[in-house]
Amino acid sequence: MGSDKPDFSLLDHTADMGILVRGTNLKNLFEEAAKSMMHVMLKGAQGGKTQTIKLSVTGNDLPDLMVRWLGEILYLFEGEKTVATDISVDAISPSYLDATVQTIPFDPSLHEILSEIKAVTYHQIEVAKKGERWEARIIFDL
Amino acid sequence: MEIKLEKLDEYRWLIPKTGPMRVPGLIYSNDALMKEVKEDQSLAQVANVATLPGIVGHSLAMPDIHWGYGFPIGGVAAFDLDEGIVSPGGVGYDINCGCRLMTTLLRADEIRPMTKDLISALFKNIPTGVGSTGPLHLSNKDEAGVAVQGAAWAVKKGFGSTEDLDKTEDHGAMDGADPSLLSERAMKRGKDQLGTLGSGNHFIEIQAVEKIYDGQKARAYNLFEGQVVIFIHTGSRGFGHQICDDFLKEMSRDALKESFDLPDRQLACARLKSDQGRRYLAAMACAANYAWANRQILMHWTHETLLKALSINPKELGMSLLYDVCHNIAKKELHTIGGKQVMLCIHRKGATRSLPPGHPLLSEVYRDVGQPVLIPGSMGTRSYVLAGAEGAMAQSFGSTCHGAGRVLSRTKANKMAKGRAIHRELEDIGIFVQSRGKRTLKEEMPEAYKDISQVVEVVHQAGLAQKVARLRPLGVIKG
Repeated sequence: MGSDKPDFSLLDHTADMGILVRGTNLKNLFEEAAKSMMHVMLKGAQGGKTQTIKLSVTGNDLPDLMVRWLGEILYLFEGEKTVATDISVDAISPSYLDATVQTIPFDPSLHEILSEIKAVTYHQIEVAKKGERWEARIIFDL
Repeated sequence: MEIKLEKLDEYRWLIPKTGPMRVPGLIYSNDALMKEVKEDQSLAQVANVATLPGIVGHSLAMPDIHWGYGFPIGGVAAFDLDEGIVSPGGVGYDINCGCRLMTTLLRADEIRPMTKDLISALFKNIPTGVGSTGPLHLSNKDEAGVAVQGAAWAVKKGFGSTEDLDKTEDHGAMDGADPSLLSERAMKRGKDQLGTLGSGNHFIEIQAVEKIYDGQKARAYNLFEGQVVIFIHTGSRGFGHQICDDFLKEMSRDALKESFDLPDRQLACARLKSDQGRRYLAAMACAANYAWANRQILMHWTHETLLKALSINPKELGMSLLYDVCHNIAKKELHTIGGKQVMLCIHRKGATRSLPPGHPLLSEVYRDVGQPVLIPGSMGTRSYVLAGAEGAMAQSFGSTCHGAGRVLSRTKANKMAKGRAIHRELEDIGIFVQSRGKRTLKEEMPEAYKDISQVVEVVHQAGLAQKVARLRPLGVIKG
């Protein structure tokens, strides 16, 4: 939920919503994807006590890793009622990533919910290298 | 992907079996609705579902079909218990999202001057909005009780009466629920969301019966023209979402091992006879039961709110449950295939069960008249009460449509609504709306949905359900 808009565009989907995210490398792509999701979900100011958490996520392959990774960030909001404010991928392989995430408590007086993302779906999921850059296509359940 | 379509008659289109499809696709629609369907990717999704192992008959779509994830919304698919699969994506994240309709003895012209106050009172008393939590906080034991007993748990705690259970699909509890299979996350998310409406297209609406199409069935359903009725649309909240998510991830990993050749990863599934398939159904039943308890509790609070806001007694209000249906579910049901009775697993992803008169699964209350089928419109448009019909058993595994079905994406709806005050536009036509989310009204505006009267006309003419009554909204609360 940083102030700079992450590198993504919205995909039109009748019932739900998707994003097309771009990254300079795989690590950057996963960071941008998580930041893009937060950007679509919420806007608002920083506030409350910051917590730093470490996340480790495994997947079968890159698309699976992407769904599980974004699912973890989403759970911080849905399950823990916290907002990820700074997201950094420390290490990544096609089946594993380590990340450090700063969170603050969700506060309805500070944060406006723009779109309620209820789940990260596998529908038409794509993570691929396009030329020099990486791209991911992710569709959310709203 | 270009999908070949053959028009069979005025209301049915066939997608012939090609490539990896195991059965043909069949879409219930009309010429006008079909134009919209062709614009998104839902027809390809009908074809994708047709490739799944053990599918029986056709991969079906109801006239409210639109692009979902994995299965199309409005999709119905039946699977053989030995060869077939169960797919969490074929049920959806909001397990047992459904509707409940209550009748009253009030007349719309009597309450019209008070509608705004009633909506404000409901909005104050019913927890709504994203991640909303309510006054109930469940212990692990109570949460397990909800997961196993469903609406009956709520009745035991004083929310409504046992008579309500006879007017709820499956008596408000699905067999086989096993809360010991649920993740810590699912249990955590379920603790404080029971008795909450949520957001998106969920609502509680005060409506008036505008037109009766079938007097005999309407009398059996206790409906009359000019009557005030209350419509609730919500589901299993974060509890159901987490259960779907947990099993999708598990099955997505194992689908690769099983060498299911899935055209879309969201169709991840497990054989019905496998341990994983059985565990999913037992966990899904927990969420289905949570949703029934949720709607039972919301009905009770709605009752309390109306009594207080109108300063009348329960006899004067005369609120009574008409029926409660689910429209996101997978169920084992007996159906006739080639003259033989076969147990199948029916997936209804945005589709409603439609049992005809005399069906053994119907409770005695509606055995002679057929199951009430509740079709919610979007705020500002009509809703319908239909009755289950014989044609549904013959053609669609006892299923019919579930709503209007989106036609505009949320992004497009937001753009179209820019600069407009949707709540004022609705107020101008006599509908009072209160909503929590700033964007909800724009995203859910009437133009975002298909013409519900055409959707209902298709299922009526095709014999999947019969029109009984049309309902007009007076006021709505949304998340």
